[in-house]
Amino acid sequence: MLWLGFYFPQLPLDVFAADGEAVPLAVTRRDGGRDVIDRCNSLAREGGICAGMPLPGALALLPGLQVRQRDRNRERQAMEALAGWAWQYSSRISFDPLLMLLEAGASLKLFGGFSALLEQMRRDQPCMDCLQHWALAPSPMAASLLARARPGACIHDRGRLVEQLADIPLQNLTRNSQARELMRGIGLSSIGDCLGLPRPELARRAGPELMLLLDRLLGRTPDPRPLWRPPEVFSQRLLLLSEISHASALLFPARRLVASLCGFLRGRGGAVQHLQWRFLHRDAEPTRMEQGLLRPSREAEHILELFRQSLERLELPGAVVEMELQVADWQVLQEEAGDLFPCGQGARDEKFLERLRARLGNEAVRGIQVQADHRPERAWRYCKPMETTEAGGRISAWHARQPVWLLPGPQLLSLRHGRPWHEGELQLREFSQRMESGWWDGNDVQRDYYRASNPAGRQLWIYRERRSGNWFLQGFFD
Amino acid sequence: MKAEAQAGLGELLRQGVLWRGSSPGQTQTAVVSSGFTALDEQIGGGWPEGALTEILSRQGLGFSLLLPLLAHLSRRQQWLAWVNPPHVPYAPALEARRIDTARVLLVRARQGEQGLWAAEQALRSGNCALVMLWAERISVARIRRLQLAAEEAGCMAVLFLPLQHRQQASVAALRLQITPAGNGLQAQVLKRRAGWGGRSLYIPCCG
Repeated sequence: MLWLGFYFPQLPLDVFAADGEAVPLAVTRRDGGRDVIDRCNSLAREGGICAGMPLPGALALLPGLQVRQRDRNRERQAMEALAGWAWQYSSRISFDPLLMLLEAGASLKLFGGFSALLEQMRRDQPCMDCLQHWALAPSPMAASLLARARPGACIHDRGRLVEQLADIPLQNLTRNSQARELMRGIGLSSIGDCLGLPRPELARRAGPELMLLLDRLLGRTPDPRPLWRPPEVFSQRLLLLSEISHASALLFPARRLVASLCGFLRGRGGAVQHLQWRFLHRDAEPTRMEQGLLRPSREAEHILELFRQSLERLELPGAVVEMELQVADWQVLQEEAGDLFPCGQGARDEKFLERLRARLGNEAVRGIQVQADHRPERAWRYCKPMETTEAGGRISAWHARQPVWLLPGPQLLSLRHGRPWHEGELQLREFSQRMESGWWDGNDVQRDYYRASNPAGRQLWIYRERRSGNWFLQGFFD
Repeated sequence: MKAEAQAGLGELLRQGVLWRGSSPGQTQTAVVSSGFTALDEQIGGGWPEGALTEILSRQGLGFSLLLPLLAHLSRRQQWLAWVNPPHVPYAPALEARRIDTARVLLVRARQGEQGLWAAEQALRSGNCALVMLWAERISVARIRRLQLAAEEAGCMAVLFLPLQHRQQASVAALRLQITPAGNGLQAQVLKRRAGWGGRSLYIPCCG
């Protein structure tokens, strides 16, 4: 077995902001009852901040420093999002703190060697430069250790492990302070020092725990690990470092979430059609935004372009402090090359409709269909564009005498001097048809239709409700 | 030199940019018959393809002039886009006039900028056989943009405007003014390619 380890030292910072480098940022941890700097970004480092510094001192040094407490919950979520992406490369994934381990033996064959695999992963990576710290080793623990201490180490052979690990300090191997104390006591500082001792001697002095660690490290003993199971739904939150009050500025952080989603989808061979966005405010209910695609996709640029256009319709009650992307239902993408890179008429068509809908809203882009009903107000309905017509109503010759323009519903006409009125007195020009319909559904109509004209010469389609004697306008001739 | 000038002249004549006042003829740019012989004669053979046509009227009339065109274009596997139509297009009445409602794409946008944006998107998408836009007002510059989009995409565009726009200059290839007349429409050609405008004719169309 070969394990590929990825170490994400920036993750505690990254979970807080998409633009983590724009302001000096540090995360803190509790250490002996006080807050100390756990790690900071490059801007903070330039300001003199370094890991281990007590928080008050850091703030005194750099008053503009943005500080967040380390949030392991978010870090775990972010790791899982990465795992969702990595699932396409290996189905055996395990975690160490800030580390992801993939069993890569099978993938190496599939991708034609390690360098091909790594190159493919880097080309595909869900976030910028997040795969910098990696190592390949025959045991998971060695991969984990090397990714942190010797990024870029690539060891296929157990025999070469010892030499590579030799000068790594022992404190990297275990967090157990008692064991570390003991090692120091007997003058051992590196892994090489331990491995140089005769085994029975070391076992007697250091105890079984360290021996087990060393055996697992060198792959002499199995290292059973809980394997990660991918979740069924995608849900990820991003805390914004600075509040965003202009909808258009949400595009930048959205990029991160969408990249992560697309990674998740690629990992599962899936695609989405509906995305749910939530924008959280400090003192208002979260704003929700649904984003629909005409066809399932996992192309980040495509999804983002539609998101950008949806933003134009978004109204925010206040500044956004956090955003969330959820996808409850995704589907398996039919793996045809053409699906991922759609081209040709059909796909162009969809992109065009999506663009319109993203900017104008779903309801603003529609088709129409004939419905089987004599009552004009029920003889048609809106439908989705491209929706294939079900067996609609039959078209008769008298439909050709009906007008092309219809009002959404019949409109009661006022009477003046006993005659119907619409922008002037209406002249009845022609009896059109008698309609008796709908007695079966309780909405029966008994109408006499006429073509009428108003003083301006406009021709109207009106009817008299025979029971009430009221006049209604139903449409316009053109 | 003279031959060159002749050739250049010929080209302009062919495009209908230049025409001989004595014999208003047909342009050789693409047109689609309007389905009304009398109208075709007055507008150079039919509706200009890849160009903007303006239809001006006091009451938003003139749509029924396009019914034969819509029926004809229904045969193409492309959308017939309606941006901000004044009322609901009545599906059975359209079908009865051999217009395939499956090709109808209704777009409702806010008046002004958004409607123009949608029309331009539709024109440039390459997926529409015809784009119709109903607008209350529009600037000369915007009309120019629509004409340009129609030209570049080779798509037919029709812009319905209130009559006040008659006074406004326009780069549209064809401009008609419509007034109601009996059971049909009276159309006056305000501007056309390769010929004088000003002719007025009765068209017995009714939708």
